[in-house]
Amino acid sequence: MKMLRRALVALSLAGAIAATLRVKGKGGVPPQEGGWREVSVPPT
Amino acid sequence: MTSPEPHRPIIGVVGCGVTGSRVVAHLAAEGARVAVFDQARSVASATARRVKGIVLDRVNELTACDVVVLCQPAPHLDLAGWLVDEHTAVVSMGDDLDDVRVLLALHDRAARGGVPLVVGAGMAPGLSGLLARYLAPHLAIVDELHVAIHGTAGPACARQHHDALGRTALGWHDGEWIEPPGGSGRDLVWFPEPVQAHDCYRAALADPLLLQRAFPGALRITSRVSATRRDRLTARLPMLTPPHATGDLGAVRVELRGAAAGGERITVIAGAAAPTADLAAAVVAATALQVAITRLAPGAHSLADASVAALELLHHATRLGVRVQEFTGVGRATGW
Repeated sequence: MKMLRRALVALSLAGAIAATLRVKGKGGVPPQEGGWREVSVPPT
Repeated sequence: MTSPEPHRPIIGVVGCGVTGSRVVAHLAAEGARVAVFDQARSVASATARRVKGIVLDRVNELTACDVVVLCQPAPHLDLAGWLVDEHTAVVSMGDDLDDVRVLLALHDRAARGGVPLVVGAGMAPGLSGLLARYLAPHLAIVDELHVAIHGTAGPACARQHHDALGRTALGWHDGEWIEPPGGSGRDLVWFPEPVQAHDCYRAALADPLLLQRAFPGALRITSRVSATRRDRLTARLPMLTPPHATGDLGAVRVELRGAAAGGERITVIAGAAAPTADLAAAVVAATALQVAITRLAPGAHSLADASVAALELLHHATRLGVRVQEFTGVGRATGW
């Protein structure tokens, strides 16, 4: 019984931490168009 | 023993790990004479043997070199300070924020020693500063610089990144330093191919410190590192899993925002992606070679400084394998 209670507490704590991490970040907006192209860097 | 060739610089490399061994290979391929030192003599011997280099038994033999490259784990302060006092030029690829800060404070000692001390000459700081300097002429006024990095080189680099995520970060915000907690400020960053998008967070990274020196007119400077949720959760604990023995794929992305000559707001973005150790090794090897053959003013420098621009380091880094990429499209505003 004691072990079950501890497991439940651990699971609750893990869930709370995971929820906090998931909602805390506000994220960003990635570029919608375009892409990367390689450029040469000649000596000036 | 053959007679010395005066036109070939002698470059000392301290630390023959994942990045250091690549630096040695680059330097030898470029015709430099290489002397290596590592606490593990067997590692130094194996590295030197591959390039017909010399193994140094004692660290004080480094004073015979034209330039010494510090590739060992932080701190670099004591060795760099001793070398500049001995009139030996130093290139440090260290990225530890505290170490970089005190290395910059060696400026007067390096000037008195009459030698340059190049600080933060790896991927970030290092390549990040070169990309910022490359992008700056696209803008009439640089208001903001934002750096993001992904990936680690050797195990020591991975531990450094892990620790950085758990420490207080550094940023420049509206003309003053801010110290937000590491692991905060999530932002989704699109890195060059093939790395693509990763969530990045504030951490104790040295780029803002060096970029603010190089671009004193900028209002905002940030630096972020990619991390998973597990990385964030465990950042203040010892590393739970051993780091990659040979590092992994890395990328650096630099974004500058400001005004064009006509006053309109513009954003320019450049980056590079490759195995992290390859990027860092190419940059530090190019820097060491150019410092050895070109006259650089005595004192402390970073790769973002205008004083280093004449060395054409980004061009030389591309010769050693760095592929510079520019973002062509609409850079949409992020949470930065």
